Amino acid sequence: MANRTLPRLLQAPAVIMLLLWMLVPLGMTLFFSFIRYVLNSLRRPEWTTPSIENWRGLGNYKYVLDAKDFWFAIQNSVFIVVSILIFTVIFGLLIAVLVNRSFPGRGIVRVLLISPFFVMPAVNAVLWINMILDPVLGLNGLAVAGINDLVAGLREFPVIGQFFSMWPELKPISFRASQTSAYAVIMMVTWQWTPFAVLIFMTSLQSEDESQKEAAMLDGASAWSQFINLTVPHLARPIAIVVMIQSIFHLSLYAEIEIVSRGNGNKNLPYLIGEFTSNNIGAASATGIFAVILANIIAIFLLRMVGKSLMD
Amino acid sequence: MAAVAQTTPLSRILWPALAWTIALIFFFPIFWLVFTSFKTDADAVKPEHLFFFTPTLENYANMTENYDYWRFAINSVITATFATAFALAVGVPAAYAMAFDPSRHTKDILVWMLSTKMLPAAAVLYPMTFLTKNILGLFDTHFLVIVVLCLINLPIVIWMLFTYFKEIPKDIIEAGKMDGVSTWGEIKDILIPLAWGGIASTALLTFIFCWNEAYWTVRLTTIDAATLSKLIEGNRAPEGLFFGRLSAVSTAAVGPIVVLGWFCQKQLVQGLTFGAVK
Repeated sequence: MANRTLPRLLQAPAVIMLLLWMLVPLGMTLFFSFIRYVLNSLRRPEWTTPSIENWRGLGNYKYVLDAKDFWFAIQNSVFIVVSILIFTVIFGLLIAVLVNRSFPGRGIVRVLLISPFFVMPAVNAVLWINMILDPVLGLNGLAVAGINDLVAGLREFPVIGQFFSMWPELKPISFRASQTSAYAVIMMVTWQWTPFAVLIFMTSLQSEDESQKEAAMLDGASAWSQFINLTVPHLARPIAIVVMIQSIFHLSLYAEIEIVSRGNGNKNLPYLIGEFTSNNIGAASATGIFAVILANIIAIFLLRMVGKSLMD
Repeated sequence: MAAVAQTTPLSRILWPALAWTIALIFFFPIFWLVFTSFKTDADAVKPEHLFFFTPTLENYANMTENYDYWRFAINSVITATFATAFALAVGVPAAYAMAFDPSRHTKDILVWMLSTKMLPAAAVLYPMTFLTKNILGLFDTHFLVIVVLCLINLPIVIWMLFTYFKEIPKDIIEAGKMDGVSTWGEIKDILIPLAWGGIASTALLTFIFCWNEAYWTVRLTTIDAATLSKLIEGNRAPEGLFFGRLSAVSTAAVGPIVVLGWFCQKQLVQGLTFGAVK
């Protein structure tokens, strides 16, 4: 144990690589966030090269905080993340408990359930917004048209036709508008990440103390009260972990938003940074620093939890 | 397993039926993607051909012509393979040292490594573009994509390997030291054979993450090193005209990975929760 050189040497490449990866780009972002820096400017060409002479102090931060887009993007990011969290945790819990018992074909059910998680995000978005949610050509549009045709057919009949003639003509929802496309994003990400929650809750359920449950059953506790009093507390830690990991992933949601809502106003923080990056690098960098702060608030809790379980 | 609700005949049928129904609903979009890929573009948008149609392979046959599929697919294979190999080459020695020769800083280093994973990519988008385009001249090269994919997965690789290596009794490694085996010999002849299963599943999972990555691969490439994520992202709005061919190319992009994923469900939990859920 006396010689620490070798273990250090073995870790060095990984540590140095990650250190560079973290410090260099982040340091540049930090620097750019304090200077005036734009990609194109006819009036002030000197602002197009990053230089300390264009120092702006906290000006970029002020500019970003005053931008309406910024607050909307924050709100929208939080709205999307929290919605996804609520749906994935609830669905994940119910499905995990449902599948956590033996029945014919359980292995196949597991395989079917986990599959969405491995679909690449770009395909997920293209598939949902076109083939499923398109108001005319997708299943959404076809289903609504089918119902309308059915109702129209029923109107031809005597007596019941009278009843159906009072039914309204249904209109399919378009998921390409600003607000509805946020719902579309929530839907597709929930679909993709519920399997993740299911998988983690199932892993955790398998370590649940069965003898406790049996004792509860002998005491005449109902299935529901067992679920609430034994299973849910046992799952508290995995739930916390699912919530934190997903928060970090979904705060940087990008491909889905880019594909579903390009230019329609449904933006989150990463998307706003992308927009700023097309010209105003100073503002993009300041927004980036805010995103780092937001992610760090969650990451600290997660890392504490993970760190605790590390050495046992 | 709990025999809780299996006492009545009703629940013996009801719960499995419900589980099956939910599983089928979750799988349906993938099924629909594959199903649509066998329709012609014209049939794919006609309600009368929703379920009944003459299946065709033309969408697959024309994938190269329509989308230049193979160029993107080969880029995905190259970048994901090399990034995985690279991450393992750096990760195995590091995890080996951390597991068998830990210092009081090991825990902090591990947690710090994980924290790099939590840096929002968008925050460093412009610096990365600036560095690779203006300074290093690496923009849109395979090398760049490989390095970035390796870096973003390295924390998970080291973390997973560390948890696997920790399970190996230290005595075995110590015995090798007594016999005067070199460090490289220890890794090659003792560690790798013993931890083969863990290393393989780490590699598999890393490969999947690399394949599906959709931020850097889209933002740091244009043509030469563009991967399948970029291809699909570029065809985001087919206006309903090309559902058939788009489904085929999407199926080809996700099919192999979904099947690979079936084989590493267990490792997924470990890889994504950093060993915090057991």
